[in-house]
Amino acid sequence: MNGYGGSILRINLTTAKISKESTPTNVMRDFIGGRGFGAYYLFKEVPKGADPLGTENKLIISSGPMSGLMIPGAGKCDFTTKSPLTGGYASASMGGHFTAEMKYAGLDSIILEGISSKPVYLFIDNDKIELRDANELWGKGTITVEKHFKEVFGEEFQVAVIGPGGENLVSYACINHDFGRQAGRGGVGAVMGVKKLKAIVIHGTKSISVADNKTYRQAGKALYKACKEASFLPEWTRYGTTVVTSWCDEVGALPTRNFSAGSFEDGKNLYAPVMREKIVITDKGCFGCPSPCGKYSRSKKYGSNVEGPEYETIGLMGSNLGISDIEAVAQANLLADDLGIDTISAGNAIGWAMECYEKGIFTKDDTDGVDLKFGNVEATFDLIGKIARKEGLGALLAEGVKKASRKIGKGTEKFAIHVKGMEQSAYATHNATAMLLAYMTCDVGAHHNRSWAITYDLQVGRDLVVPEKVARVIWLQNFRPMFDVFGGCRLQWVELGIDRDLYIPALEAITGVHRTWEDFEKVGERIWNLTRLFWARENEGFGRNWDMPAPRFYEEAPKSGATKGQITKLEDVNLLLDMYYEQRGWTSDGLPTHERLSELNLSDLVV
Amino acid sequence: MYLDGKDEAEVEAGRTVRETLISLNIKPELIALIVVDGEQKTKDYIIQDGDLVKVLAVIGGG
Repeated sequence: MNGYGGSILRINLTTAKISKESTPTNVMRDFIGGRGFGAYYLFKEVPKGADPLGTENKLIISSGPMSGLMIPGAGKCDFTTKSPLTGGYASASMGGHFTAEMKYAGLDSIILEGISSKPVYLFIDNDKIELRDANELWGKGTITVEKHFKEVFGEEFQVAVIGPGGENLVSYACINHDFGRQAGRGGVGAVMGVKKLKAIVIHGTKSISVADNKTYRQAGKALYKACKEASFLPEWTRYGTTVVTSWCDEVGALPTRNFSAGSFEDGKNLYAPVMREKIVITDKGCFGCPSPCGKYSRSKKYGSNVEGPEYETIGLMGSNLGISDIEAVAQANLLADDLGIDTISAGNAIGWAMECYEKGIFTKDDTDGVDLKFGNVEATFDLIGKIARKEGLGALLAEGVKKASRKIGKGTEKFAIHVKGMEQSAYATHNATAMLLAYMTCDVGAHHNRSWAITYDLQVGRDLVVPEKVARVIWLQNFRPMFDVFGGCRLQWVELGIDRDLYIPALEAITGVHRTWEDFEKVGERIWNLTRLFWARENEGFGRNWDMPAPRFYEEAPKSGATKGQITKLEDVNLLLDMYYEQRGWTSDGLPTHERLSELNLSDLVV
Repeated sequence: MYLDGKDEAEVEAGRTVRETLISLNIKPELIALIVVDGEQKTKDYIIQDGDLVKVLAVIGGG
C-alpha cells in the first residue's frame, strides 16, 4: 500500500470498541485519500436523517498520500461529518503536524462513532490505542489541554483538542491543534463534543513505503526548489494571508459592518505591515512547509500570544465589526481559539447581532445590557465567551445566523450573511459575480477555499455574467480541493504560483499509480457530485433555493467604499445558477442526473 | 504579462505607485501587492529615487 498508512481505525465511543481494518483498495482508487475518504465514509455509513449531534453521526479524520512525506505542504488533515450548523456536508482542513503523525501510526482514517457516556480522550502510540479518562480536562481551554499533553507525553505527540465551545455544542465549534491551527468550519468540534471526546493524542514511528523511492526524492526536491525560487516567496512568508487585506479593502472585498460595504474607512490600521510591526514576532509553518504563512503574534495591550490573526479573522473580527485595532483582533482570535469556536462564523454572527442592535431590533434587554454597537471591542470579547458558554445572547448566536435570524424574524434574515446555513467568509461580494457564485455553490456552505475566484472577477470584469466565469469556478472547485484529498496544502500552488505539474511525478512515485491532473479533477468532480447528493438526501426540498446568496448581495448596494452603488442583479444570480447547473450536468434545480452519476462511477454507492 | 513581456521597467520618481501603474497601462486594481525594500506599501506610496518597487499581479489567493 504505497503512500498510505494502511489502516482505517474505528473507535466506537458508545461501546469503547476499538478495531482496525485494511484501507480498501477501491476506496483508494476512486477517492484517493483525505477529503475523498471523508466523503465516501460519510455517504456510505452515516444513515439518512441522522441527527448531527446524535449517536449515528460519525466524524471521519483522514490523512492522504502526500501527508507526512517530504513534499512541500504535506501537513493537512481532513475532518468530515454531517454538520450541526447546516445539516449538510461538512469538511474542515487542519494544518500542522497531526496528519503526518497519523501516517507514521499507520492510519489513513480514524472513524469516530457513537457517543461516550463520560469524557474521554483517544490515545494512540503506534499500535497502542486506548480510550482514557478525560474528566479532569473537561471544561478546560484548548491551549491549556494541549500544553498538558505535551508535558505529559512529550513534544513528539500531536494533539487535536476541543474547547468549551465544542463541549457546549456550539454549532460552529472547531477542533484545535498545534496551538493555533484548526479544523475550523461547519461545527466539527461540536460533533467531537457531543461524543464526549475531548482530544486525540497521537504518535507514530512506522515508515511509509513508496513505490519508487528515488523518483519520489527527486520529485520532492524539484517541488521544494520551485518554492524556494518563487519570486513571491519572501513577501508571502513575511505577511502570510494578511497580504491581501489592503487589496481587498481597495477593491471592495473587505467585509465591513456585517457586509454592508466592502471597504472600511479605518482599514489601513489592519493592513499587513501595521500588523507585522505592531504584534508579529515570528513566522510559523506546518509540516514540511517551505513558506510558513502562520504568524506568531504578541499583543502588548492585551498580553495575548496567538498564532494569527489570519486574513479571515482580520476581516470577520475586525472590519466586519467596525474594529480597526489589530491588537483587539489578535485578542479576539486568541479567545476564540482557546474556547474552540470558528472565528469566521463567530465574527459573522456578532456582526449580525451588532446590526440588529444598531437598527433597534435588539435593545439592551436583548444584549444583556451591552451597548452592542459596531466598533465595541469589549462587547466583542464578551460575546465570544458567551457564545462558547451559550449564555445570554450567546445562546442565540451559537446556533448560527440562519437559525438565529429565523427565530428573531423582523427582517433580520435579509442581513444574515450565509449560504446553506454556513456564515460567509471574508470576501464581500456585492459586485464580483464569480466569487458570489463560488460562495453560492461551495459544497460546505459559504466558504471561500474551494474556488477563490475574486481576482478572476477583477481581471475579466466584475459584473460580467458569462459561461467562461462559471467554467472557471467549476474548474477551481474540481481542482483546488484535490490538495485536501492528497492530505497536503494548496498554498504553494496558489500563492507561490509553482507549476502544478510538478506534483504529478511526486504522487506517482509515492503511490505507484499514474494519474494526470485530468484524472485528479475527475476524482474532484466525483467527490463534488457525491457531497451534493448528500445535501439532497439529508435536506427535504434541497435544490436551487439552497444555493441562493444572502439578499444583501442583490438588494443593498454599499453606500460607501470601492463598491459604492454597485450590486448584482437578482436575474444575474439566477442566470449564474442556470449556467452552473448546465455545465455541471445537473438538472435545472441543481441535482446530479443519473447519467452524471453513472459517468462518475457513483451509481452503486448512491443506489 | 504587462510590460510587453518584460519583467522590469524604469520609472520616474515623485509619482505615486497608482499613477505609475496607469502610465504603464496597468490597471491598479489588478496589482495585489507592492513591496519596497521588503515592506508592503499601498498604491499611494510616492516612489523615491533609487527605490526598487516589486509588484505582484493578482494571483490565486485564499
